[in-house]
Parts: sequence; structure tokens; C-alpha cells
Amino acid sequence: MKWSQFFNTSIGKKLLVGATGLFLCSFIIVHLAGNFQLLYNDGGKAFNTYAAFMGHNELIQLIAWGLKIAILLHAFIALQLTFRNRAARPVKYAVNPGNQTSSWFSRQMAIMGSILLIFIVIHLANFWWKFHFGEIPTQNYGGEEPLKDLYTVVQVAFKELWIVVLYVIGMIALSFHLIHGFKSAFQTFGLNHVKYNGLISFVGVWLFGILIPVGFAIIPVVIYFK
Amino acid sequence: MEHYNMNLTLKVWRQKNTDAQGKFETYPVSGISSEMSFLEMFDVLNEKLINEGKEPIAFDHDCREGICGACSMHINGRAHGPWAGTTTCQLHMRAFKDGDTVTVEPWRAGSFPVVKDLTVDRSAFDRIIEAGGYVSVNTGNAQDANSILVPKDQSDEAFAAAACIGCGACVAACKNSSAMLFVSAKVSQLALLPQGQPERKSRALNMIAQMDKEMFGSCTNTGACEAECPKEISLTNIARLNREFISAGFTYEK
Repeated sequence: MKWSQFFNTSIGKKLLVGATGLFLCSFIIVHLAGNFQLLYNDGGKAFNTYAAFMGHNELIQLIAWGLKIAILLHAFIALQLTFRNRAARPVKYAVNPGNQTSSWFSRQMAIMGSILLIFIVIHLANFWWKFHFGEIPTQNYGGEEPLKDLYTVVQVAFKELWIVVLYVIGMIALSFHLIHGFKSAFQTFGLNHVKYNGLISFVGVWLFGILIPVGFAIIPVVIYFK
Repeated sequence: MEHYNMNLTLKVWRQKNTDAQGKFETYPVSGISSEMSFLEMFDVLNEKLINEGKEPIAFDHDCREGICGACSMHINGRAHGPWAGTTTCQLHMRAFKDGDTVTVEPWRAGSFPVVKDLTVDRSAFDRIIEAGGYVSVNTGNAQDANSILVPKDQSDEAFAAAACIGCGACVAACKNSSAMLFVSAKVSQLALLPQGQPERKSRALNMIAQMDKEMFGSCTNTGACEAECPKEISLTNIARLNREFISAGFTYEK
């Protein structure tokens, strides 16, 4: 089987979805760590210095483009599989088992993923696009050059109720997506072993499904009420 | 368990043939014993329909011992009904109460076209087996018993996978109509044993290629198949199938 055939099989496609998914999981840890600097009351010094570093370091930029490709690939292949899966049952059941045979989260991957994709597009337009291509104020913290003041852009944005609500909805979708998604990727890679299943499930549900989305969501909420 | 009789309302899918438009018909059945199997209840109903000069309901059955895997009934939203680890013939009427309404549908999957009423064509499974679910054995004298050593744990695992009866409940239960649990059981039972080694890589690749060709959906690891499997085939088999397919895809030269 050639590589092109291999990655065109259902399992080959799922491998790409799982691999890009786990890559994106690793990214959100870094993203959240950086975001917590938004809660400092230092006039944005730490966050803006960090943003300038992330925006200019070549290695980080390379990874950043890799991330965007991963998001597109993940979404494109997953949607392709979803449409194929839907088509595999042309006549639907009159009665469905609901949660009796599978978890609710596991059946909502496409819906939550689609909400997330829309969220990511709005999120990139709000901050990433503005930071790189928009007109934003600068701040000088005593360095050689003034830094772009993304900190203030974020603080202003999160004073708008609809943006805060949107971000909380996005993080609920992230939570529901990863509660199943993280451990599902391991099963797709064939990693199912009694000695590790508990750990994988625990990390998937508690770290990626709950702690990280809650961490992301509290930042706009805190800024809104500040 | 105490014996009781019940009256039920059955909503059954009626479809003349593969191309015809099907619809639900409602049938009242009375005096059903709690000791009857679900199929015997259908026998009672069919006898009544025949006596009334009506077309009996077509449903597949063979052994009625829970091992043929023919009875493709989706009962109240559950493959083979509400009990775990049972086929339809092993589902007894004590699973229901007097006055219940029971909806019976055939397996729903594009790969399992309805032949008539509750009978579906599962030959897609046969074609997957033909693609690689076998071992090639040269003829000749039978070998001495135990000349090939198999670790006990491994033979137990292979045996558990070999319990698959190919009934298609996994496909029926899966929201994606995926056949992964079936294919994983068939690949596992041979991958775990020495006799399965010569064709191990080509088997995994060919059976998955055929599975895709038959237009089954892909697995999203919901676990519904495992919950509904009458032989309680484990999801660990799907992980093994993934490993078999990945390692074959990365190393097989053809």
C-alpha cells in the first residue's frame, strides 16, 4: 500500500486527525501559560514582551504556521470523515439508544469541533490579525523599541459582554471536544493498555477537558468584572 | 422468575424489497408469555397474520441458540434489544412489561441493504473476510498436537476475539455504521496466533481496504459497538486492528 493510499483509508485519515489533534493539545498548554500574564497588573509589560517574542522568534513562527496547517488539516479531514459516516446510514433509526450505549460527549465531536473552528476564526481575527497586520497602540517599557500593546487590545475587547460570552462558549466546546478527543486519539493510534488507560483517560478528562478550558475561560471573565 | 402473560403493541418495519419504500405497521399482540423468546413472539404474530390471510413479517433466524448471528433486529433503539450480551433469540419476553409498545427495525446501514422487512443483506461482511480473514494452509498430514506453542493468555485472547458471530450488531449500534469491531475481531483472532503470522500484514491492509470499499463508516471510538455486541467483543481489539494496520502500512513493501 502506497503512502497516498494509506492516508486515504479511513484509519489513515483518522491517524492524521488524531496526530494533529494531539499536536493542538500540546499547543494549548503553552497558549494558556502565556495568557495568564494577562491577569498581571503590570500595565502589560510581561504579556507584551512575551507577545513580541512569540511574534518575532523564527522557530515560534514556524511552529505557528504548523499549527494553522494542523487546524485546517484536522478540521478538513474530520469533516470529510463525518460526512462519509453520515452517508453510511441513509435511512435513520426511528428510535435511538441515546446515552445507553455511548457517552454524549463522544457523539458530539463534529458539532463541538465546528463550534471550535468558528471560534478560532473569530479569535484569530480579533487578536492575531490585529497584532500582525492591524494598527495597534504601542507601549515603551524602557527597552530599545516600543512594543505593540496587545495587552490593552485584549483588556478592551474583554470589556465587551458578547466577546466574553463567545469566549466562554468556545471554551465549553473545547472542553466537550477534548473530554472524548484526547483519549480517542490514543485508541486510534492503537494505544489501549490496562496499565495506561486510566492515566490517559484522567489526563484527557481532567487536564484537557476541564482544567485547561476553565483556565482559558476565567481570563475574559476576570477582565470583564475587573 | 415468576411467569406472566402480557399484551403488547408492536411497531414493525415493513418493506417489500430492497428498492421499495418501507414504513412502520402497528400490530397488537396478546397473551404473550414472559418465558417466550422475542422470536417466538414473532412466530405467534406471524401465525396470526397467516391465519388472517396477511403477509407474515420476514425476519432472519437460524439456530435460535445465540450463535448464528442472523437475527438483525433493532428493538426499542437497541441492537438485539435491551439486554447486554444477547442476540434477539436469547432476548426473552420478561424483558418487557404488559402494555409496552415495542418498536422493531432492521439494521440500518447503507452497507446492509434491507432484503425484506427485518431481513438485511450482510454479505459485505463475507467480502471483508474474503479479502483476508483466513489463513492459507497447505494440504498434507496433520501436524502433531502442540507442535506449535501458543501462550495461554494469547490463545484466550484469540478465542475471545473468535467468539464474533458476524451478526452486524456493531455496525447497527454505531452512529457511523462502522464495521471496525467486526474487522478487529477477525484480524485479532489470527494476528494473536502463530498460524496467522505469514499473512499478517497483507490481511490488515486488505481487510481495511475492503471495509472502506463497502462504504462502512469510520470509527469514532464511542464504544457503542462494545456495549451492544452479543459476544462482548472488547474495544481493545479495535486498538489492535489499528496497530496491525499502522505497522503494516509503515513496513509492508507491496
